[in-house]
Amino acid sequence: MLKKLGLAVACIGAIGLFASYGAADEKPEVNKKEIKPAMLFGDMSLVTQDLLNRAGDDGNNFLHTNGNYLQTRYYPARQINVSNVSRLRPAWIFQTDVIDSLETSPIVVNGTMYVTTSFDHVFALNARTGEEIWAYRHKMGPITTYCCGPNNRGVAVYGDMVYLATLDSKLVALDAKTGEVKWTKEIADPEKGYSETMAPTAVKGMILIGTNGGEYGIRGFVKAFDAKTGDLKWTFYTIPEDTKGVWATTDATGRDMHRDIEAEKAAYQKLGPDLYQKLGGGVWQNPAVDLETNRIYFVVGNPSPDLDGSIRPGDNLYTDSLVSLDLDTGKYICHFQYIAHDVWDLDAVSPTIITQVADKDGKMIKGVLHAGKTGHVYVHDAKDCSLIRYSEAMVPQENMWVLPTKDGARMLPGANGGVEWSPMAIDPHAGLAYAINLHQPMTYHVESTKYPDGKLWLGGAFKVIPTEEQWGNITAVNYNTGKIQWQVKTQQPMIGGILATAGGLVFAGEGNGHFKAYDSQTGSALWDFQAGAGVNAPPSSYTVEGKQYIVVGAGGNTQIDYKRGNSIIAFSLPD
Amino acid sequence: MGRGKGTLALLLVSAGAAPSFADPIEDKAAICSACHGENGIPNDKAIPIIWGQNEGYIYIELRDMKKGARKNDQMAPIVENLERDDMMALAAYFAAKPWPNLDQPRAAPADANHFAVMANSGQCGACHQSGFKGAGTQPRLAGQTYEYLLKTMLDFRSGARANNDWMTSLLKTFSEDDIKQMARVLAGL
Repeated sequence: MLKKLGLAVACIGAIGLFASYGAADEKPEVNKKEIKPAMLFGDMSLVTQDLLNRAGDDGNNFLHTNGNYLQTRYYPARQINVSNVSRLRPAWIFQTDVIDSLETSPIVVNGTMYVTTSFDHVFALNARTGEEIWAYRHKMGPITTYCCGPNNRGVAVYGDMVYLATLDSKLVALDAKTGEVKWTKEIADPEKGYSETMAPTAVKGMILIGTNGGEYGIRGFVKAFDAKTGDLKWTFYTIPEDTKGVWATTDATGRDMHRDIEAEKAAYQKLGPDLYQKLGGGVWQNPAVDLETNRIYFVVGNPSPDLDGSIRPGDNLYTDSLVSLDLDTGKYICHFQYIAHDVWDLDAVSPTIITQVADKDGKMIKGVLHAGKTGHVYVHDAKDCSLIRYSEAMVPQENMWVLPTKDGARMLPGANGGVEWSPMAIDPHAGLAYAINLHQPMTYHVESTKYPDGKLWLGGAFKVIPTEEQWGNITAVNYNTGKIQWQVKTQQPMIGGILATAGGLVFAGEGNGHFKAYDSQTGSALWDFQAGAGVNAPPSSYTVEGKQYIVVGAGGNTQIDYKRGNSIIAFSLPD
Repeated sequence: MGRGKGTLALLLVSAGAAPSFADPIEDKAAICSACHGENGIPNDKAIPIIWGQNEGYIYIELRDMKKGARKNDQMAPIVENLERDDMMALAAYFAAKPWPNLDQPRAAPADANHFAVMANSGQCGACHQSGFKGAGTQPRLAGQTYEYLLKTMLDFRSGARANNDWMTSLLKTFSEDDIKQMARVLAGL
């Protein structure tokens, strides 16, 4: 159902123009220059590899879930900027027919937008008007096993196809012009705990996809399928057969994790050989792709069962790790484990970002960023995955790493983070990474339980402490120093994602329905819109006919239980 | 489905005879109706509503009962000879039926508010989803019978219901009064 602008404004109501940024009509010189349409690349009737490669400089399209292969979520258009964002208003609202969590990153190709909903429906929209072009409604199989809501984070585009991964663990290729199914492949068996919520990544004729299931005793993987035929090209298991690792006693920041290494070694003698088959290690989010070195970088989630380490001795490789592979073959190149033998589910979920970073000597090198549930932004050397530095903690950390107990041990952060699956954005010119965080105090309870045949397997429970305050924040971290540059507290824990733009802005939504723009250098709030449902999805941006838009889903969130909705809302400046 | 089929089915079950599942789906389902109700309203309030329950959940429970992971004396002879296809067919059949409205009383606002705090603490909605209607292999709780909800949660808590250890661990952190309140609120949704 398409709502006309006037009705949409009347129903939802844009609010909050911030006077401190002066007259809205004043445009600095730099912005006048940029108002012209951005460059077009390649043959726009097809999504070519060349077009995908240049996405970072493409101010018309939004071609990757996280903006570009480096996953910077830094959008190059600056028509909407710090001086005029206060005048931003809804251009159109598209309402899907699914009122549930929206985690989609809208993808825009030459004026056509592709969005997904909970339960894996896809809509192709006119990006200028919001008018529906086609809809694909996934016929879900009866068996779905997923922990945190019926989410879908979006599509990948490649050639004349649109790719979707589903809760019943299928990879579906659709005709980009009609939504017709071209082929469907099973990624893994959903009855064994496999499911999909991430968007695929399209590169070099392949469709890359990870898997959920770290809460279900799966063996995690990243798979590459042929983009044309759907044939499997390679599989990398995130859990190698030898999972013991180096018996690390401290985490990436040097804090003692209170492991009983001798007891674990003894247990490993007995349990070690079979551990890999059910050790978890899901991959929830897209890899960053480095086409210069032909490598991908992604993070691997928690071991199974989450809280009970007694039955999975060893470091549980490569859970809670950054991993790099050869793109063509899926062969292992390097890894770095943040938390060996994790018993808190404080795993690695938020997608990686490739950018130039200062090494320990201040020399600029190619680096990889990841924001942890721990509340740190980790900065790595892309060459060997080694850790260069980690940021100041973005949320309170208390009692780390107390071991879970039968009656529950309090530790901060809670198991949702820190930074959950929410992608960061960066401003590579300022050396700032923007992360959204949760503060949700929890107790960690452990209880040893046997593998439950593909059902939820936590080995205990996490419990939010009902008497303690919860909140969130947006944090800008200087990744060349690890220092926090600015921080804005929000009423509720943050989940969804963030977008930075060359207009000097970052955009992020909240569970209470507010969708806000901030000055990316200072954190000053410049604009606020009440969307009527939780804005818990990563925003995108694009330009059509010379007009820049910001677009975001407002559908709430299942995991944190924010008010559900069904709106895709595009914003632009008035004519 | 006539009452006669239900009565016959009940007699078969009571006598411990293994039912035949070579019949069309409606005949197979008639056995279920003897307890779960011919119109979707269970004959005994401690027996769950299965009309309109989520397909994947019904299948998983039948599977677990056959495996012995979920113990139930009444169901054991029913599931004994069920093959996976039978279970899937029964699950699809009952999932397609309308959820019956038992018209159970809506919780008082104070109870509902306390429930919201408890549900947030237990992160119940992460699995049972919007409106506690579940999806896939996650069960609908909203509008289920109070008696069944209470018994199930207490059985999870004690370990008597042993096919989802996560629920056992979680419910151990709640008092019996809390669980009664949760059952009341969920039944009234």
